[in-house]
Amino acid sequence: MEDLILTLKQQIIDALNLEGVTPEDIDDDAPLFGDGLGLDSIDALEIIVILDKYYGIKLANASEGKAIFKSIGSIADYIEKHRTK
Amino acid sequence: MIRVLSYSIISPLGETVGQNYRALLAGRSALAPYDNWHGVPDRFVASLFSREQREKLAVNGYSRFESLAIRAIEDALSRADVDIRSPRTLFVLSTTKANVEELGPTEARDGAYLAPGSTARKIAGYFGMTNDPVVVCNACISGVTAQLLADRMIESGYCDHAVVCGIDCQSLFEVAVFQSFKSLSPEDCRPFDIERRGLNLGEAASAVIFGRCDDGKDGAGQWKLVKGCLDNDAYHLSAPSPDGAGTLAVISGTLDGWDRDDLAVVSAHGTATMFNDQMESVALERASLSSVPVSALKGYYGHTFGAAGVLEAVLVMRALDDGCILPVRGFDEIGVSGRISISNREGRTDKSSFLKIISGFGGCNGALLYSKALAKTAGSGAAVKKNPQTVHSVRLTDSSLSIDGRNIPVEQSGKAMLTWIYRTMLTDWPKFYKMDVFNRLVYVASQLLVREENAAVPDVNRALVFFNRSSTIVSDRKHISTICGGDGFFPSPSLAIFTLPNITAGEVAIRNGYRGETSFYILDERNERLMGNIVDATFSCSDVSSMITGWVDCSAEDTFEADIRILTI
Repeated sequence: MEDLILTLKQQIIDALNLEGVTPEDIDDDAPLFGDGLGLDSIDALEIIVILDKYYGIKLANASEGKAIFKSIGSIADYIEKHRTK
Repeated sequence: MIRVLSYSIISPLGETVGQNYRALLAGRSALAPYDNWHGVPDRFVASLFSREQREKLAVNGYSRFESLAIRAIEDALSRADVDIRSPRTLFVLSTTKANVEELGPTEARDGAYLAPGSTARKIAGYFGMTNDPVVVCNACISGVTAQLLADRMIESGYCDHAVVCGIDCQSLFEVAVFQSFKSLSPEDCRPFDIERRGLNLGEAASAVIFGRCDDGKDGAGQWKLVKGCLDNDAYHLSAPSPDGAGTLAVISGTLDGWDRDDLAVVSAHGTATMFNDQMESVALERASLSSVPVSALKGYYGHTFGAAGVLEAVLVMRALDDGCILPVRGFDEIGVSGRISISNREGRTDKSSFLKIISGFGGCNGALLYSKALAKTAGSGAAVKKNPQTVHSVRLTDSSLSIDGRNIPVEQSGKAMLTWIYRTMLTDWPKFYKMDVFNRLVYVASQLLVREENAAVPDVNRALVFFNRSSTIVSDRKHISTICGGDGFFPSPSLAIFTLPNITAGEVAIRNGYRGETSFYILDERNERLMGNIVDATFSCSDVSSMITGWVDCSAEDTFEADIRILTI
């Protein structure tokens, strides 16, 4: 799980061009949207691509992912349970 | 105000306006599901030309896109008395991606790719047009921007006739962009309906030939483009302001002094996405247009991007000639909170004016008023020439910076230099790091102007009018690599958004709270005289009192130039 969280953080940093942010800067349980990293709706779509590309998880839209996208921890939990690759 | 001399439509539903109109009356649509279409792995629903149509419409020596534009212009020209070769005739091409389907995954195929301005010149060359063409690339509102440009250029005396062609073809490139945004409906789209699930893509071309109203000819019974208005809601790059403020403002600006009871219909954008339709309904109610019937045609054609603002206006003109209000295909039960009049059945009217509204990515909104009634010309007339003055200027290349003509020492070069300038000279705006190199260029150059101006209060009505040659070629190539590369088909939404050049104006509008118009024009080559005329015409024919404008081109990660200034009157 630790490894997954670290990998996921790096994938999000790379995909969202969070220049200057390191995995250590992101709290596992801090909110990703609004406050926290201040991500927006396009970023949410980008996380959907990460789930599909690296973990074989398909989400139809961002609203389906609302609970999943609360924090890095919640996304990692979801990946653990649903990953197909 | 300018006159509509003739028009044309070529779509999957037919090759003449008559064929298209009759198809709509019969309730026909070309929307159909596509599986494994041209390398798109996931099924989508769209309105696309059949193979037979493609072959029939092909013009020898021209790409599919160019052929389609040529056919549409040729048909419109056949019914208009216009000297197409005259230097007093302007060609305006409205498109979001032009020949992008020719852009391949490898450099080897790039020879076939043509920048939008070159594409426009090639089309102009077919007809022997002598002027430099202008490509309007303003996302979904391109067709409305293009017609308003025609109005401004004619009223300002820069030309006597304008050929406006709105067109887009669909390809793997564009389907992937909209799949990455998750904005495509898995079924035929349902504008304003409670069950709507997104938009369908469509391809079409539609041309309009415009002429002067004061040419001494009898214009009775002819449609006129009376006036129009553009703005930006400075809210979000890919979602409209939920209170409809941007659309409300362009409606109010356009209908100022016009009796709303004269309107037969409002031709809405009606993309059938959750946010667009909801926003439009709120804006229409706030603009006191709840009782004017809404026309929405995406259920027949899908979203035809650069063609939409032209094609939809042409069909409403044709329908109103018959006193007909076209049924809204796909609509059944109201699913928006703003009060509007909408029906899936044909309506009748004896009125002969209508409003076209439209909104697009980058936060831009537009409205145009058309009328056949001659007597009422509220708000129109010959343009009063204004005299904009340069307040500050910035020239930024991949290795140099000057502000108001003073050279400023910079460190590094290319994209890294932009980041260095951002870090050392500009205030914190973390979104900067999410921008592609072209957006970073325009952002940095614009913010240096804003910093130099050091205004106590930002001019909220400031316009942003940019020109370039390379459109968004850097991000276009990257986008292609996410859908054709070895990693499979994973289009990235945060990359895809930067395949629309006007997004860069949206970034600057949001950063500064500018709510004036944001327009993006592409030329085959930098032409200061033409750019100056467009800027003059924009000032003369709108209430814009200040503008950031100029040349902003980025042809590769480390090859770019921004030469822009603040103008005020």
